[in-house]
Amino acid sequence: MALYDNKYWLLSHIRNSFISSDDTGMCEIVMSGEDISHLKTQLDKYPDPELSEDSDDGLSIESGDLSFGMDFGMRARTNTAARIEKIEQAKKKAAKMKLIKWDSKKAGSNNDSNWDSMFEKVDPKITVQMGKKSLLSQKLEECTNLPKNPYMMYAKFDGLAQVNVPTRRYKILLTMLENEYKNAPLDISCIATAKIMDLIGLILFYVRNRHANLVLHPPTHYGLYITEEDGEVYRDLPPLDAKECVAKFGFNCLGLVEHKEPVVSFDDSHKQGEDNEKPETAGRMKTIKEFSKTEETKQITTDLEVMAVHKKAMEAPLYQSYQVNIVTKMRSRVEIHLGISGDKIEIDPIHPQSSKFTLNKQKPVSCHMDSVAWCEITESRNSKTSFRVFYSNSYGSGKPVNDKAVTSFSPLQASASFKHFDFEADLSIAEEIVGKINLILELRSSQSRKEYLAARERKQYKRKSFNIAK
Amino acid sequence: MTMYEDNQSDKDQIVLASGGYDHSIKIWETHTGLCQRTVQHVDSQVNALEITPDKQFVAAASYQHIYMYDLGSNNPSPVINFEGAAKNITDIGFQQDGKWMYSGGEDCKARIWDLKESQTQAPRCYYTGNPITSVCLHPNQVELFIGDQNGVVHRWDLKTDQTDQIIPEQDTMVLDIAIDPLGQYMACVNSKGRCYLWELQGSFDEPTKVKPKFKFDAHNKYALKVLFSHDSQLLATTSADQTVKIWAMRDYSLIAELKQESQRWVWDAAFSADDQYIFSASSDGLVRLWNVKNENIEREYSGHQKAVTALAFRDATC
Repeated sequence: MALYDNKYWLLSHIRNSFISSDDTGMCEIVMSGEDISHLKTQLDKYPDPELSEDSDDGLSIESGDLSFGMDFGMRARTNTAARIEKIEQAKKKAAKMKLIKWDSKKAGSNNDSNWDSMFEKVDPKITVQMGKKSLLSQKLEECTNLPKNPYMMYAKFDGLAQVNVPTRRYKILLTMLENEYKNAPLDISCIATAKIMDLIGLILFYVRNRHANLVLHPPTHYGLYITEEDGEVYRDLPPLDAKECVAKFGFNCLGLVEHKEPVVSFDDSHKQGEDNEKPETAGRMKTIKEFSKTEETKQITTDLEVMAVHKKAMEAPLYQSYQVNIVTKMRSRVEIHLGISGDKIEIDPIHPQSSKFTLNKQKPVSCHMDSVAWCEITESRNSKTSFRVFYSNSYGSGKPVNDKAVTSFSPLQASASFKHFDFEADLSIAEEIVGKINLILELRSSQSRKEYLAARERKQYKRKSFNIAK
Repeated sequence: MTMYEDNQSDKDQIVLASGGYDHSIKIWETHTGLCQRTVQHVDSQVNALEITPDKQFVAAASYQHIYMYDLGSNNPSPVINFEGAAKNITDIGFQQDGKWMYSGGEDCKARIWDLKESQTQAPRCYYTGNPITSVCLHPNQVELFIGDQNGVVHRWDLKTDQTDQIIPEQDTMVLDIAIDPLGQYMACVNSKGRCYLWELQGSFDEPTKVKPKFKFDAHNKYALKVLFSHDSQLLATTSADQTVKIWAMRDYSLIAELKQESQRWVWDAAFSADDQYIFSASSDGLVRLWNVKNENIEREYSGHQKAVTALAFRDATC
């Protein structure tokens, strides 16, 4: 803290603090005009010879709080200041430029002798010697074997050839070159709106110009990797996305690495320029594309399936009516409406029905869902699918109103309390109904269902033991 | 002495410059197809380019200004600024010894700029009454032929300051005028793609007389540029129909049709000194070099970001 030994510095600092912290500006008016440098020798009687020079510099700063070279020390330049600077620069430029102004007042002031010398009529003659080869033709002939640079189309992304568009500069390490060139980075300037692929093309354009004998591939075969200044390429990281704009990435040092296979697939706008691309590569690219596409659709289908299951479960308790046939005791089929909701199953015959066949008459039935125990598809023929709904006969209110409709030869006759309805419908409808009912049953898990399941288990066990005994 | 040698070497140089909507002018190495230099042309698009006869400067016609860039140095900014026109300057050219420069613009004025004098000036000016699209100097160096948007071709004698007009096709914009190096023929193309040819007759003492000779439909769209070959045997027209067509002056037959898919509008063209090659500038941002005989593309000059609308080329003989 030797600083504070310096009285002059302290005085200066205090003065400066007053000036800088007084918003009214009064302190500045009073103090800033005052020259205190004469106090320096007076207050600082033993100046440190080593510091004397430094202190001079330090005093010019005059404040410990405010120092140059830091952001807060400088007032931000206003727009006006920036504009004035621009105008001044333009003026400087203009000073180097000769300005010739058209002045209509001066018209006709030149004398005639001047005109004569200015507008002398000449006899038209051919200025170019005929039959002689032009320099252009000669130079073109000399350069007939000039290999065409296949990356010419990328030359327009060269930032060096642009003057009024934003550009970005890169140091590019060319990993595919021989040792002597490998470590010398290539300085590339590229317009800021180019894509990474365009940058790769531009690099290859330069490489082709410098190393004509090097075998190069289409830009799709290369990737740009983040690289250290010393030439260490981070190959573990993925290359920069070829389809992205170069301005998106903040790295200035990149490594160009050759890939065995093209790393990216391209839309047609890029493809048109790469005619030299082998068809087999293109084919491979296509399969990759297709493969990823099928993968995607697969994923979507599974997602949709999951969603559908959820939806079904959610919708299962909602009332829905189906038109199916009920198979009566007489083995005849009667068209009915089967209404299924969260708490009951309703069977309503469709009117009017042929009154002739009274046997086929089907009365309306309402069956509480808690009495229903099971539902399954029993038989599936090509035209119709039969399914069966088991219900508990003993369930209080769920007792079917119409006993006639119930057939008596159920495989579960052992527990006499269970009866069933047989229906017939198209396979898809049957499946839907069975699914819906089972979902509802699962949700409710009523007493009847438990009993039914227990009875069925018992029966299976019995049959098994009988088989073993046999 | 050294100065003289420098000038000599400049004279022997090939200069190809191109400019357009991307606000830059590019100088090309013709045989390699590489861009030698780019200069910024900040103010506006480039409407027309011309190289001075001594190959020292390239002049660019733009909005309200003509800028001249030094070809000998690497200065990316213009060195001379001609100003005073109210609107776009659409065409420029030079007297063969570089004594003066002519310009025509949308402010309906054709101007002569004295290149020997450097202050404010107004040596000659002609008001056409219609926006000017094209100005062409007769090889006798004293008559200007000026085409305007209303379809009038004006003849302006600079020596006597006399003018007269011809109207090839009423109310059809004249896009470009050309006169062959021997001063025998004048050609003009209009917005309907039609090409008109006149025979020019005149002597040292009399003003040139213009006699209609032939007209034909060169293109089915806007024609943009017409030019004669150096030996006056060929006529080239460029058009919005994406082609450059080359016609024989002998029988007005189509010799070559230079087109390339995706070429888009072809704005400008220039023959090599021996008429074996022709450069074209087009809206796809490319300058192309075509072989007139076999219609092959010999070189492509890629670098412009936007449409190339103007071209200037000075060849040399070896």
